[in-house]
Amino acid sequence: MALSNEAYEALQAIVGERNVTRDPAILDGYALQMLVELVRPNCGHYMPRAGAIVMPGSTEEVQAIVKAANKYNFGVKPHGTGWYHWASPMYDPGTRYGDEKDTVQLDMRRMNSIEIDEKNGIAIVGPYVIHAQLHAEAIKRGWSCNIIGAGSSCSVVAAACAYSGIGAGTMWMGGNAENVLGMEWVTPSGEIVRNGSLGSGDGWFCGEGPGPSVRGIMRGTLGSRGGMGVYTKCAVRLAHWPGSTDWNVQGTVPAYRLPLDKTFRVYTVAVPTWDAWTDLYYKIYDNEIGYTLHRQYNLAGAELAPAFWLMYTDPTKQLSDLPAMLDEPGMAELTEEMRISLQIVMAGRSEADAELQDKVLDKILEEVGGWKVEKYCTQDMAEFTNMYMNRLGHKEINYVYAGNYIGSWMQAGTPDWVKGYIPVAAAGYERDYRNGLLVQAGGDSMMGTVGAYPGGGIMGLEQFVSYDGADHESTAAAWYHMDDAVEDAKTINYPPGKEALYIEMRYTDEQAFDKWSKSKQPWTYVFQREIRKRYDPNYVGDRQYNWIPEEWERGEKHASTPIMPGPGRPQPAPEGYPTI
Amino acid sequence: MALEDYRADAMRCNRCSYCKWIPQDRIKSWEFAKGCPSVDYRHFHAYSGGGRLVAGLSLTDGRSEITDELIDVVFECTLCGSCDVSCKVCRYDMHPLSGAKEFRHYLVDKGAVPAAYPGIIAKLRDTGNMAGAPQAKRADWAEGMGIKKLGVDTDKAEVLFHAGCLYSFNPALRNVVQSSARVLAKGGLDFAIDGDERCCGGKAYDMGYRDDFAAAAKANLEKWAAAGVKTVVSPCATCFWTFKRLYPTVAGDDYGIEILHTTQVADRLIKEGKLKPTKRVPMKVTYQDPCHLGRQGEDYVPWHGEEKKIFGQAVVYDPPRPRYNGAFGVYEPPRDVLKAIPGVELVEMERNKEAAWCCGGGGAVPQAYPDFADFTASKRLDEAQSTGAEAIATACSSCNRILGNAKAADGGTMKAIDVLELLEQSL
Repeated sequence: MALSNEAYEALQAIVGERNVTRDPAILDGYALQMLVELVRPNCGHYMPRAGAIVMPGSTEEVQAIVKAANKYNFGVKPHGTGWYHWASPMYDPGTRYGDEKDTVQLDMRRMNSIEIDEKNGIAIVGPYVIHAQLHAEAIKRGWSCNIIGAGSSCSVVAAACAYSGIGAGTMWMGGNAENVLGMEWVTPSGEIVRNGSLGSGDGWFCGEGPGPSVRGIMRGTLGSRGGMGVYTKCAVRLAHWPGSTDWNVQGTVPAYRLPLDKTFRVYTVAVPTWDAWTDLYYKIYDNEIGYTLHRQYNLAGAELAPAFWLMYTDPTKQLSDLPAMLDEPGMAELTEEMRISLQIVMAGRSEADAELQDKVLDKILEEVGGWKVEKYCTQDMAEFTNMYMNRLGHKEINYVYAGNYIGSWMQAGTPDWVKGYIPVAAAGYERDYRNGLLVQAGGDSMMGTVGAYPGGGIMGLEQFVSYDGADHESTAAAWYHMDDAVEDAKTINYPPGKEALYIEMRYTDEQAFDKWSKSKQPWTYVFQREIRKRYDPNYVGDRQYNWIPEEWERGEKHASTPIMPGPGRPQPAPEGYPTI
Repeated sequence: MALEDYRADAMRCNRCSYCKWIPQDRIKSWEFAKGCPSVDYRHFHAYSGGGRLVAGLSLTDGRSEITDELIDVVFECTLCGSCDVSCKVCRYDMHPLSGAKEFRHYLVDKGAVPAAYPGIIAKLRDTGNMAGAPQAKRADWAEGMGIKKLGVDTDKAEVLFHAGCLYSFNPALRNVVQSSARVLAKGGLDFAIDGDERCCGGKAYDMGYRDDFAAAAKANLEKWAAAGVKTVVSPCATCFWTFKRLYPTVAGDDYGIEILHTTQVADRLIKEGKLKPTKRVPMKVTYQDPCHLGRQGEDYVPWHGEEKKIFGQAVVYDPPRPRYNGAFGVYEPPRDVLKAIPGVELVEMERNKEAAWCCGGGGAVPQAYPDFADFTASKRLDEAQSTGAEAIATACSSCNRILGNAKAADGGTMKAIDVLELLEQSL
């Protein structure tokens, strides 16, 4: 059911005419999204259009909007900075369970307050505060914060309350979801829930109490990703920053540098084998060194990355210079030297601590047969890496080759377990890019965190597969790469990776219910159904907060909607087709 | 280029929203993190660099039509280029600024423009200047200064001083252009002015009136050729940018005319010892980088190439396309001039150089959306005040005018002063 004029006028009355629109061109600004062409019929470029875009300015306005949604029967989908297809409305006619209804997109831009409790290391932020802002304010006060792997341009509230919030600093600082010290949530039925100590009127210092702890209810299996109400504020724990409180940015755009404090060490380290790589991780965990750690630079692909970053850090060069740089003397050797490498920033609480960490790292490298990559440990590159890893302000390099990428794999586990899928992932990538329809950046282009939880232990690697979203054939290749990655994982008895989440975006509600009802732990979805019954009886949210209706749980009903047809498989590469 | 040529940019936009912020690494506070005045004022994504590209895609896809709201989306933007700089931190294949300008040209062709625009263009066509003032008064600012006039005192001039429309006709800015001319003369620069100087056409280009720009450019180029002009010097950042970056597209790759801003010339004269700032000018100042002198002030590089792919699908250009990402704008000469003035203490705003916040005067915004221009200027004044500076120095007529008249959030004002005005005080 299309958004009625009456409903639209109600929205105008709540937020003011200036803060709501249904102009088609403006609506499409929200419909075009990252990865959209891999989940839409005929690789289309738009998610379903919202009935209106609304920009609330307060929690009370959000509450009024949600109450209007229940009254006028429209859906509500909030986003922080609005990056990812699942931030958009997701239903075409006939694809939603229950009532047909238009969805109103909430753009949270106007709710961007920030408050730092310097003494206690707590930040209270609104949904449009991005990590770079919080990080900047924290640094000035001797604090830092974990920045989600997606980068500093992302919303802190979205990362902490609606997703998992893991990044390069997680091993030291904890993931954002773990760091939540209280949240304010407008439920899909229009209640305002404040959890943890905040809920008992004791302020923002503990997410689990005294007071109601509804963290699990709000987050669900993977974070609700806009599917279950609106998070209007949260508090996050800050982490100690042992560096200068002056964020002394140096260098020329795009490759800014952050000079190293005396207590900082920054290296790119490499190992000869994947076995040595797992040993390296375990020894880093055991010895508790490091501040930010990530296998970051390899997102540009193992064959291209070493030359790529040297190109990137020279402001006179650009992507078209890369082929010539690959032919430069020594580049082939550097590429081999860095094939299995990661970036590590170590921050000592004193110069002596930094020296100790240095010695520990040297010892670890000696034991695993690893080395520091000299070309990437010069002062210039170390300063660039220092900036990159601490701010994560260059993460949109993900898109540098062709504007679009799909991250496949990324199953999280111990390094030994992750090691098991690396060769399969790399081989699948090479197979799929051989025909030239994906960017040929391999052997592998696997990037990922060193630790997904404080202290390490769990991590994952994501395969960066770049495609040109403006090219139908290339998009089609990426479409089938996702399907193929799921099948590849099956061959080694691994669960599917991130691509499976994306593929679900092609589904109708019924198809998703079918899949989840057959999952290994369907009770999770049942549990979330019961939560939805309580907090979202009119299904104002969407299935990003995963659930299954009773009839699917009982196996009485199955999808009647057809699977979205693929765009047609591109021709595989002929035998002997040259790659890089 | 046409709007359709930016469809691929839109399809390759991953909606990361970098275009809304200054480069992420450069963010030093919550308050001064934003880069795009347009989206900060109107909030909807369509008012950002990426959002405009998508609005263009939607329109050319036939999914939307031209509406009053869409006209605002396209024209309620200062064209400051902050989006372009931030986007290109991670991208070599996106061009949000030139896409935004193309969108304006597209709508002008359709007759869909802000209500104020036709009148401004009519003035340009009638009088040869954006102010609509009698052209006979063009050089009144130079009366009694002993400056040579083309066509009056001489038929030839290797160096031409181009004042620009605002400086020529706005009495409040007259002291700036006079100071600039006096300083250059004191440094021994031999130059002339054109008593019948015509508008550079840059504003018309930014408004989307490409034919009017081209007509202005051709007229000026013909005059310069006849007068044997080899160097054009202007105190106006927009004229400087227009001559430097746009005129070669009309004149061709053998353009061959050196374009300099007055701050560049003054800096050169100081470093050559021809200007000696000796008198103390005790003043704490901050500096406003004009968009057209700073991030958009990079050298023009002729390019006639095409997109191609390497490594299967990586998008590059053959031959390499100039990046224009603000890395090599004119940042240091005005600062070096300020630093050379005894007593002047230069304090930087957080957002400076390629990350500078626009004054609000660009993109023909003050003429069509004065409230937005005031909003943008007010934000900049807040930031200038935060430095503790007494005055905001700049090198652009628009910046000078709008910041000089702006009010900060606390109602405070700040003196706006041109870099060369300050320099003159020290000579």
